[in-house]
Amino acid sequence: MHILPKADLRRLTGALAERHALYGPVRHEVSGEVIFDLAAGPSEIDLDIPIPYNPPKGVVFPQAERIMSFSCDRASKAVTVEPAPLAAPKALVGLRPCDLNGLLCLDRFMLGQEYVDEVFLEHRKKMFIVSNTCVHPFPQCFCACTDSGPAAVEGFDLDLTDIGGEYLVLTGSAKGGELVRGLGLAEAPAAKAALRAKAVEASVALFDAQAKDNKAWISRAVNRITTGFIPHEVWEYIGDQCFECGACAFVCPSCSCFNIEDFKEGEGRSARERAWDSCSFEGYARMAGDHNPRKAVEDRRNKRFFCKLSFSQSRKYLRPGCVGCGRCVRVCPGDIGLPNVVTAIRRETTKQVPHE
Amino acid sequence: MSETGSKAIVTVPAVAVIDEIRDEIEDVKTFYFSFEDPDVARSFRVRSGQFIMCTVFGAGEFAVSLPFSPENDRPHLSVRQVGKVTRALHELRPGDKIGVRGPFGNGFPFEDIKGKNVIYVAGGIGLIPLRSSIVHVLQHRKDFGRILLIYGSKTAKELMYRYMIDEWRKTEGFETYFTIDNPEPGWDGHVGFVHTLVAPASIPVKETVAFVCGPPLMFNAVIKELNKAGLKDEAIVSTLERHMKCGIGKCQHCAIGRTLVCTDGPVYTYKQIKTLGEQI
Amino acid sequence: MIYKTGICNFCGTGCGHLMKVGEGTVKGVFASPGHPVGAGRLCVRGWHIHELLATRERITRAQVRKDGALRDVPLDEAIALAADRLAAFPPEAVAFRASPRASNEDNYLLGKLARAVFGTNNIDLASDAGHGHTVDVLLESGGLPAALASVADIREAGSLLVLGIDITRQNPILGSELHKAARRGARLVTLSSRRTQIAKLSGTHLQNRPGSMRIVLAAMAKVLLEEGLVDRASTGERTAGFDGFARALDGLDMGRLAGLTGLDLEAVRSTARALAGPEAAVAVFASGISGLDRETIAMAHNLFLLAGKAGRKGSGLLAATGISNIAGSWDMGATPRFLPGYFKAGDAAAADRFGRLWSAGLNGKPGRTVEELLSSSPAALKALVVAEHDEGLIRHAEALAALDLVVFVGAYDNPFTRFAHIVLPAATYAEADGTYTNTERRIQLNRKKVEPGPDILPAWRIWTAIAAKRGVAWPAKTASDVMKEIAAAVPAYSAVTYEKLEKGFGLQWPCDEGHPKGCPHPGELPGRLSFAAVSDRFTAPAPTDEYPFLLTAGTDNTFWHTNVIMKKTHIPRREYNALLLLYPQGLVEISAEDAARIGVRDKRPVKVVSASGSMQVAAKVSTDVRPGTAYVPYFIGDMITGFLDAHGSLLEGGEESVVPVRIEKV
Repeated sequence: MHILPKADLRRLTGALAERHALYGPVRHEVSGEVIFDLAAGPSEIDLDIPIPYNPPKGVVFPQAERIMSFSCDRASKAVTVEPAPLAAPKALVGLRPCDLNGLLCLDRFMLGQEYVDEVFLEHRKKMFIVSNTCVHPFPQCFCACTDSGPAAVEGFDLDLTDIGGEYLVLTGSAKGGELVRGLGLAEAPAAKAALRAKAVEASVALFDAQAKDNKAWISRAVNRITTGFIPHEVWEYIGDQCFECGACAFVCPSCSCFNIEDFKEGEGRSARERAWDSCSFEGYARMAGDHNPRKAVEDRRNKRFFCKLSFSQSRKYLRPGCVGCGRCVRVCPGDIGLPNVVTAIRRETTKQVPHE
Repeated sequence: MSETGSKAIVTVPAVAVIDEIRDEIEDVKTFYFSFEDPDVARSFRVRSGQFIMCTVFGAGEFAVSLPFSPENDRPHLSVRQVGKVTRALHELRPGDKIGVRGPFGNGFPFEDIKGKNVIYVAGGIGLIPLRSSIVHVLQHRKDFGRILLIYGSKTAKELMYRYMIDEWRKTEGFETYFTIDNPEPGWDGHVGFVHTLVAPASIPVKETVAFVCGPPLMFNAVIKELNKAGLKDEAIVSTLERHMKCGIGKCQHCAIGRTLVCTDGPVYTYKQIKTLGEQI
Repeated sequence: MIYKTGICNFCGTGCGHLMKVGEGTVKGVFASPGHPVGAGRLCVRGWHIHELLATRERITRAQVRKDGALRDVPLDEAIALAADRLAAFPPEAVAFRASPRASNEDNYLLGKLARAVFGTNNIDLASDAGHGHTVDVLLESGGLPAALASVADIREAGSLLVLGIDITRQNPILGSELHKAARRGARLVTLSSRRTQIAKLSGTHLQNRPGSMRIVLAAMAKVLLEEGLVDRASTGERTAGFDGFARALDGLDMGRLAGLTGLDLEAVRSTARALAGPEAAVAVFASGISGLDRETIAMAHNLFLLAGKAGRKGSGLLAATGISNIAGSWDMGATPRFLPGYFKAGDAAAADRFGRLWSAGLNGKPGRTVEELLSSSPAALKALVVAEHDEGLIRHAEALAALDLVVFVGAYDNPFTRFAHIVLPAATYAEADGTYTNTERRIQLNRKKVEPGPDILPAWRIWTAIAAKRGVAWPAKTASDVMKEIAAAVPAYSAVTYEKLEKGFGLQWPCDEGHPKGCPHPGELPGRLSFAAVSDRFTAPAPTDEYPFLLTAGTDNTFWHTNVIMKKTHIPRREYNALLLLYPQGLVEISAEDAARIGVRDKRPVKVVSASGSMQVAAKVSTDVRPGTAYVPYFIGDMITGFLDAHGSLLEGGEESVVPVRIEKV
């Protein structure tokens, strides 16, 4: 472990910015809100501000992106297919552990199954990741219940822990080590290095006050959802409150459903784009012709929570799909963020009436 | 972007030329194609029961089951026009280009069925995805027991591939049973829904596998009859259609139960289908 | 920084968003967590506004019709031609139709163009019928011509009333506030003939017979009177018209309530009693495209006044505007009846005031609406300028085709251009600075995010250019300059500046000398409130043997305003199509009991017959409508739109309109 004085953070971001497009939590100039965004410069990234409102997944999996273009010459009938230009290397600085886990879910799902998603791979390779330990949880957080924080365990090149005035720097990869050497960071004495574990312990203790029964019940909800022992009424109760806006999927660090569309761009030219999609939409599973296998909204909600909390989906992510960031709570017009769903399941399990 | 994992064309479609177009029944055409790039043509190997993603440039991409057999068969697609993209495909002429990704999906379990009796039950254009299997089985006639085709459609002119069926019937012992929904002039065969042919065909049950494909109502009625005749759920095989977008198990549009039709399917036994917990 | 703050331009809720911008185009959108209305939420439309803004289906070149076809011409030439040709008609033969999605700056200058340059008050707004009723009732009764309650009031109120509106579809984030308030313990009552999502989420759903809402509200008022629950202040010095209202209620026989409304008197009583309680109360109804009729709004206003919930902090009616800038467009005078700031068109002093502001002699006569002009016989209209497009005009296709001149100004490809002689390309709202006034009077600045194409101008610049061609040089060089003009013209906007707007999340008018930071609770403002005049006749549409069903029409999530706009998106368009896939011929929603009686199952064809037409659609068997009631989403298929258009007059009453029909098995 090494030491990075807080005032020297700019040296680290500056060094990364030389070869990467630099992303991290920044405060919005007008609204004052924290956004995970392309930084205007190395000093714009602020690691003391709360977890960004948007997940970092947009950097590797953009909301909408062109993946290739086609051009057809009418006279010769020749067709050219051009893949989108290669993405520039990116550095993600200040990733919270939940978001890093979300990214790892995406990695395992997009890269680790039968096929590799080559578009995702393009964004993901040559990436440098600096994670940031949450020394105190934010109000919506429950990563302690989903085993995804408050400190990162894997997947980072460098990991920072604020111990007051300076960061402890944990190296997670060879290129992380290279940067540490390049910056000439001092080795942390053993006593200081031990502060990381202490900081994590203190942070975990703070969760007791906010991750109460609904959140702490997550592991049991996983069991229930996996085995399917959840009465239809629970899904109906949740489905009634779903506004079908798609927000839960859009803000989820591990949701990766997408849509593909081709667009005409003028005579003989067209483009293929892919964009975020959500299983809460009625048209999502529709088929050509008149057949929608998942018409009722409660069936669609069911699908999402199955993805976030079932064991069979966990096998694809090598962990539960929910990383405990709490974003779905904040964006849901229907007040059915994941913790409330767990509450509904808990009520049913403890034989209380699921309706209020 | 390059090919990774399997031999399939994963992301960037390979360009293919439409060599010939054949009108089948109303709204259904067959498109014979060949790849522009000879390397692609050589490495493009399909299994019976797989599907491809077909790009109509400027219109979009759609998933389509492959009707051609892996052996001695010209690559082609039989497509009904149902939406924007398939309508655009129907407007193409020989010499026009399409894009092809794939082949994707698991395919039919041929190794498991050697030596068995094979029953094909199809409704309407449900015969298309079964075609490759039928051709394969007939080519290896000796490896199988009884081979039956039970096939029906709304009207006589909506029966697919009749000219091919006539060819297939030249194979010894290929039993065929046809039906249409309602009586019509010039039709002296069976009348009624497809499932009503199951009993008259006196199907074999032991060492038998049935391939069933057609619209959901027909499918459910046929399954009931096959079960009644004694066929077990695991001996009934079907290929499911879903709204596939990526073909490689990522976009999740084709999620059904705990599986993805594009990578875990599209071929499922009825036993598996029952555990999916969704309408098929 | 890729994400730029902005305001959603779909419905009138006016949620804040962060727009992702790059490579000269809009690439995504995220909800803005700090925004006082959206508070981090968007609906399915809002989450996909980038799809609309990035569409390739744009009008990018000025066009003029030559030999029957529209042909590209230089922009300046098209603008000059439009100006010259418009000037050739007498003022009363020219009309202007403003877009309710356009900015205040756009619509203020369009009004100025119509009135000060072409001398006519013939200017109106697409899809606004219901909002005119809201404005009338509230102006008459002494309040402000806009919502007295704010969105934040919903969060504090103890009692919430939803009047008809399918709010989780039409203004989803307002619906979210109501739902969340109910989850926190507020009493949420929905009064609506259809079991909408908000009805399902309400503690009480009063499922009245269609067309009887006014009577239910009257009955609630009468309960307050009978039980002595009337707020003292509301009958005292600060109000007027109580006696007249009380007399009108005499005409309601409570014994006939169940027969008229289908509701149990006790349920109505308990709702009325709860409303009269000490807690703040907010009632939400639709104002705009399918809003309520004047009489029903008047009754709701009177009930609230009686219950002491008007003119009180945190309480009041919240007229939910269905389109982003319906409210602001009215404030800007995009109506034949009012100049900007609700000065009456036709009033001499008002004409004088604006004549001086605009250095022009104004037409002293109020104008007429475009619909009135198009349906008048003999034809009164010769030339029409349309900003964007409203499908409602299509029912006048013949009259449109007969016009001498149609000028279309818009951003997106639009089938309406088939009527146009001149087409001028306009910027999208992401390509221009502008302010938009939401449902709670919040004036919000939306900054330009991307550059428009070379020939594309913000609409307000197009209006300025047309005026210039008529020899009238307007001083405003920027949108901020236009706001300075607005501030001088509209008293409630007099302290609004771009500098202030830029620093926060908008200003709620009145924003004037006395309220430089705006006024979230205008109910507290001093002033006399009065009961609105209401009819003392209480009749409701009743089924007959010949037409046993009461048919109502409504809208949906993914169909919104002119669906021309929604069709340019991908996901909302797909969602719209998903419903079409299930019911490709359109649908009529009926109860299981009625379906059994008619002998049809779900998705089976039925014929819907009224006194003046018929249509064949599929039956959708649903638990959301009561026996004897039928519902059609008016967007599906030309057949339904055509059928409903034939009943235009019946449907003018908005949500509470009813067409008596019979439904037959086919």
